[in-house]
Amino acid sequence: MIKRLLVANRGEIALRIIRACRELGVESVAVYSEADARAPHVAAADRAVPIGPAPAVDSYLSIPRLLDAARAEGADAVHPGYGFLSENAAFAGACERAGLVFVGPPASVIAQMGSKIAARTLMQKAGVPVVPGETPEDQTDDGLHRMVERVGLPVLVKASAGGGGKGMRRIRDAAEIGDAIQAARREAAAAFGDGTLYVERLVEHPRHIEVQVFGDHHGRIDHVFERECSVQRRHQKIIEESPSPALSPAVRERIAAAAVTAARAAHYRNAGTIEFLLDGSGDAAQFYFLEMNTRLQVEHPVTEAVSGIDLVRAQLLVASGEPLPWTLGSLTQRGHAIEARVYAEDPARGFLPQAGRLLLCREPRRPGVRVDAGVAEGSDVSVYYDPMLAKVIASAETRDAAIVRLSAALQEYPILGIRTNIPFLLRILAHPRFQAGTVDTGFLDGDGAALAEGGDDTPPAFLQAAIDMHRQSPAGGRTAGTGAAATAFDPWRTLGAWGR
Amino acid sequence: MAEPLRVTRVGDGVYHVEHDGRSHIVYIAGSSGDLWAWTDGRVFRGDFGEAGDPPRRAARAIGPQALTAPMPATVVKVLVKAGDAVKKGDTVLLLEAMKMELAIRAPGDATVRAVYCREGELVQPETTLIDLQ
Repeated sequence: MIKRLLVANRGEIALRIIRACRELGVESVAVYSEADARAPHVAAADRAVPIGPAPAVDSYLSIPRLLDAARAEGADAVHPGYGFLSENAAFAGACERAGLVFVGPPASVIAQMGSKIAARTLMQKAGVPVVPGETPEDQTDDGLHRMVERVGLPVLVKASAGGGGKGMRRIRDAAEIGDAIQAARREAAAAFGDGTLYVERLVEHPRHIEVQVFGDHHGRIDHVFERECSVQRRHQKIIEESPSPALSPAVRERIAAAAVTAARAAHYRNAGTIEFLLDGSGDAAQFYFLEMNTRLQVEHPVTEAVSGIDLVRAQLLVASGEPLPWTLGSLTQRGHAIEARVYAEDPARGFLPQAGRLLLCREPRRPGVRVDAGVAEGSDVSVYYDPMLAKVIASAETRDAAIVRLSAALQEYPILGIRTNIPFLLRILAHPRFQAGTVDTGFLDGDGAALAEGGDDTPPAFLQAAIDMHRQSPAGGRTAGTGAAATAFDPWRTLGAWGR
Repeated sequence: MAEPLRVTRVGDGVYHVEHDGRSHIVYIAGSSGDLWAWTDGRVFRGDFGEAGDPPRRAARAIGPQALTAPMPATVVKVLVKAGDAVKKGDTVLLLEAMKMELAIRAPGDATVRAVYCREGELVQPETTLIDLQ
């Protein structure tokens, strides 16, 4: 079994991993940059090592510094968390060569799945559906026309050589094919010096469905059901849930089986996620492999809530060579769980990231609510890292009940001193399309775009009375929430032995 | 016209308000001229006047021609120098914070009087970066 684990991350995920270490009797080693010396994850770990200045490239992204820290502290394993170096094959390889257990798949698997083309080829060979498309050898107008017909309308014609929307044309009508091919070719040639075109099926209203998979060293691979993450803003997931309201039982079974096939084809070990695009609805819905994430996901708690599995604990057991800590095929998906990501950003001002001190921060407590936070009252939110502050996960018997519970929890999560996206999250949860479970990945850029605008910002009439009393109270008028009295609600204090 | 209203302090910065037969929890923090308040998932910031005055938003006392950083950020590019004429909406500075680029634009037609920051410098909110006249 792993004895001492270096946690190569920060924030809420570092705390999540440290908590799992406590339960397994594994010693935890935190690392921190100069900006994080007072961060909660540093206080929570058994040991903590400074690894450099605030910019991540000199600290959390520095492979030599992390390996030095592991060596100096006598760690025998490394957990990369998510983000930073978690999907960096060079880091996994360096750990392997240094004799450290990397809590994740082998470096070769990370490298293969990190290449979109290699991953797609592998999945096609394994029989996992991919978005139909190819670069035809015959690049004449006729050749491309035939390829468009073979792939089937609607299609996306795009530059084979590059991305960024240049040389990209949507074709929905057969009459547009000729003009679109020529325009795309001209743009591609101008932008990339190469007019070669790729033809791909256009999924018009895709939903993002992903399947949690898990493999051990004994050849066992299982899935832990799906998550739906269609509420996204600029490809950033904001709200995730399990089960997906979009899947019929038959499609749910097929997508899970395809994910296991995909993981098996990749010779996958430890926790991973197969992401799919879902096109259409009901039993006729089609799904296509998008990519594989070779790490723990931000949204893993919704899977934990519906399956009862502690995924991080399972990661540490499997990395230590133990078999999957459940019997294959024995899991059930119970109830419904929804996660909302709380970001330090101001939706009313173009989602501008916020930095500053949390003057007041009180976590909600109610049955069926879990909060994974990387900050506490008095924490300084810096400009250096991802602005995610916390995740709030609500689970209940039904989706409707989970929505109500999550809304109630977010209303009871006061964060003062910086703006957060909580009011925006509440507006999404209240939107009829979210409540009906019909949101696709374009929702927040289309129907839901107006939700970013702060509604009525007139304070309710009763607010002034509370403020007047606050001004008269001993701490009022000065900074409240950072004094000794604030610890009455301090979540770190109530963690007891787990927190320190 | 005032509804019966009862306020009870229940903790540091936490108040229970009964109003119109409903109760609310209000959380308050900040300093006197810049208070933050939270209730029912809504957040308000301002100086909230003197007792009894209608609430109003805090007006930041920056000169109309002083451009400031909205948050701690790194100066990526300075696009003007003293003496340059700028038009309303012209980008004069590029800042970067949390991996996002942020353009600072001229609020009106003006002449650059002085530039107080350098490329690569870490700047704090509210500090003047460029003076226009």
